[in-house]
Amino acid sequence: MNPDIHRLLDEAFQGIEMTPDAQDLKEEMRANLMARADELAAAGATPDEAARQAIAELGDVRALLDETPDAAPQRGADDYASLVLRHHVRPKPGFVVRAVVWSIAAVVGITLGILGAAGVLPLSLGPQIALFGLASTGIALLVGDSLSQETTTNHPLPQNRAAGYFLATLLGAYGLGFGGLVALGTMPVWGVVFAALGVIASIVLFSFLGATQTNRHKAWTREALRNEPPNRFEREPETAARFGVYTAAIWLVTFAVIAVLVFTVGWWWAPVAFVAGFALMMLVLARMLFTSDKPAGR
Amino acid sequence: MTQDDAFAADLLRGHTDTIVLGVLRRGDAYGFEIYKAIRDATGGQHEIKEATLYATYRRLEKDGLVESYWGDESQGGRRKYYRITDAGRAVFRGNVAAWTATRRIIDALLDVKESQQ
Repeated sequence: MNPDIHRLLDEAFQGIEMTPDAQDLKEEMRANLMARADELAAAGATPDEAARQAIAELGDVRALLDETPDAAPQRGADDYASLVLRHHVRPKPGFVVRAVVWSIAAVVGITLGILGAAGVLPLSLGPQIALFGLASTGIALLVGDSLSQETTTNHPLPQNRAAGYFLATLLGAYGLGFGGLVALGTMPVWGVVFAALGVIASIVLFSFLGATQTNRHKAWTREALRNEPPNRFEREPETAARFGVYTAAIWLVTFAVIAVLVFTVGWWWAPVAFVAGFALMMLVLARMLFTSDKPAGR
Repeated sequence: MTQDDAFAADLLRGHTDTIVLGVLRRGDAYGFEIYKAIRDATGGQHEIKEATLYATYRRLEKDGLVESYWGDESQGGRRKYYRITDAGRAVFRGNVAAWTATRRIIDALLDVKESQQ
């Protein structure tokens, strides 16, 4: 380790205001300089020379901090709508056709599958499974294909990741299909194993994809989002926290009501309580997020 | 630096963003690794200045084409690693396609023969 680096780096940053950004850059440079100095020392330079040369190669730190990243002046004239218009990307005709085909496959598969399972159509179990397979494939292709398209705001997903989302959707949708067949009674109870396997594998895969997902917004979208005025929850974190507490209370009460309903009037009333709870949460959200800031003492 | 070197350095510098994305496509790397990868690829004849690279990292990160995270080195300075994002991969593919097309045009305009040394 080369102690001269630290002294020389401090000198290079002398007179620069130590914003978090500048501090960040300095720490990044420190590790790189040490690696470079080690390389120079291995090539035969004395530690002193190595440190000095590594720093000299750096050039002017000040110029680097001046030009970035907030130097670009805010162009207030560009509102979001005009930006969207300028960067508009038209969907490819081929994709539109394919999307229609995938959707038809999904709708036909689900409709005929349910009719078969409900006994309206004279279909045995095999064709029913095949129909739900068709539907799941249609839904999954729709997801995968859409993700690999360039849109106005997003870059296309790389092929292998889009394929991952395809597979996760396929497993999840097929699993739900098996669950539906068991629920409708056309498939014996052992079908639940397939349903559970599909859904669990899908959840695992989705979690993995979600956790490893990196940015795919276009630069202009990010810029536009940055210039968005902060909403009330960002300006007043305590309001956001209050909303969180209210939400928890609402759902706690909702589930209590659901339990009461199930044990008194019957389970089919449970969704009503659920819907009421959800509506209440949305109303509270609207009240708290979009309230105009009133001066104190209203 | 000769006239040829200056021309090559200029060309190289003009594509710094794409070159850095290309290096990161092979895997996450910190500043010095990226610098070295570029220098080694040119056979040590050229290098892109570190100052240029730092400016590039900041621009790429602002545009969401790379993400950064700090390594957990126990000794010495902590390294700031960069990772390419899906947006970065898409931009890289687009730039490579543009480069291939442009190279063909310039080759035609400069009358470069494939076999010519």
